[in-house]
Amino acid sequence: MNCFNINDIYDYIEGSLSPQQRRELEQHLSACSRCRRAVEDRKLIAGAASGLPPFAVPDDFTDRVMARIAPAQVKHRLWLIILASASSLLALTAMMMIASGRSALGILSGASHSFWEYVKSAAVLTAKAATLLTLAGKTARPLFEAVYKGLSVLTSFIHPGLQILILILAMGLVVSLFFGMRKKFSLGD
Amino acid sequence: MNELQDQVLVRRTLRGDKKAFEMIVRKYQQPLLSYVGRMVGEREMALDFTQDVFVRAYASLRSFEPRYKFSTWLFKIASNLVIDHWRKKKLPTFSLSEPLGQDGNCLTLDVPDDELAVGLKFELAELRQRIETALEKLPGPLRELFVWRHVNELSYEEMAEIKGLPLGTIKNRVFQAKEMVRRLLQEMS
Repeated sequence: MNCFNINDIYDYIEGSLSPQQRRELEQHLSACSRCRRAVEDRKLIAGAASGLPPFAVPDDFTDRVMARIAPAQVKHRLWLIILASASSLLALTAMMMIASGRSALGILSGASHSFWEYVKSAAVLTAKAATLLTLAGKTARPLFEAVYKGLSVLTSFIHPGLQILILILAMGLVVSLFFGMRKKFSLGD
Repeated sequence: MNELQDQVLVRRTLRGDKKAFEMIVRKYQQPLLSYVGRMVGEREMALDFTQDVFVRAYASLRSFEPRYKFSTWLFKIASNLVIDHWRKKKLPTFSLSEPLGQDGNCLTLDVPDDELAVGLKFELAELRQRIETALEKLPGPLRELFVWRHVNELSYEEMAEIKGLPLGTIKNRVFQAKEMVRRLLQEMS
C-alpha cells in the first residue's frame, strides 16, 4: 500500500479523518515503520507546541488599559448624531409652531406682503419664539441626550434592516402627529 | 456560554458600563499578549500593542457585529496591528492566499521521507525552547497561524474568519507552518 501524504497524517493526528480513511491509515501504519515514525514525531511536536508557556501579564496591565480608555469614548455614529439632532429639531420646531399658531407656509407667504407687514408678523413670531426658545434651550440638551441614548441602545440590539423600517415608521408617525396637532389647534382657533 | 457572556459584556459596555469592558480586558489580555508577543518579539512592544488592541476595540465597539465571535473580532484587530508593524519595519510578509515563493519547494506536503525524528530527540522542555526559536525564524504569516492553532487553540473556522480566506487554504497553510517548524527543528539538531 502507498504511503499517505503529510496532510493526511496531520488530519489523522487532529482526528479529522473520516472513519474509513482512519481505518485505512491505521492499517498502513501497522505495516510501515516510516509513516509510523512520521506520525509519532509530529504528535510529539504538536503536543510540545500546545504547551508553550503563556506570556506573563503585568499586574497593572488592566489598570493601564482602563486609564487609556477613560478619556477615549466609544465612537459615535455620525448618522446617529444627525438623526438625533434632526429629531430634536423637528420636535422643537413642531412645539414652537403649534404654540405660535403660525404655519410654515404662512411665514413664507408673508414674504410676498409688504415689508412692514412681514416685519410686524416676524416680530410677533420672534417674541413668541424667544420665550419658547428659552424654555426649549433648557429642555433641548436632555431631549437630545435621551433621543441619542435611546437610539444607541436600540441600534445595538436590532438588525440594520429592521432599524431602517422602524426609522421610516417613526418619521411617518412624527409627521402625522405634527399635522394632526396643527389641525386640532387650528380648529381650536 | 462563553460567547454569550462576551455578547452581554459588549452590550453592557455600549451602555456605558466600564466595569464590563474591564472584564473583557481581564479575560483576553493573556491570550492576546501570548499571540502579539510571539509576533513582534519584544516584550515591551508586545505590551504596548496589546494595550492598543483593547483601546481600538473599545473605540470601535459599535462596529462589532454580534453575529461574529467577539474573540475572533479581537484577534482580527490584533492581526491588523501586527501586519501594520511588519510593513512599517519592512519585514517580509506575503498573502496566505498566494502561492509561496521559492521556499515553497521545502513546504510541499508529500509523503514522509526517511526523515530524522526530532520529537523523540529532546526532552519536552528543550523541545519547547527549540520550537520558540524555530518560530522566530518562521515567516510572519505562517508563524501567526501556528501560534493561533497551538497557543491560542483557535479552530480552522475561526482562523478563516479572521483572515477572510477559505477554510481549505487556511488548513493547508497551518499544515505547512507545522511542517516548516519541524524542518527548522531538524536543522537545529
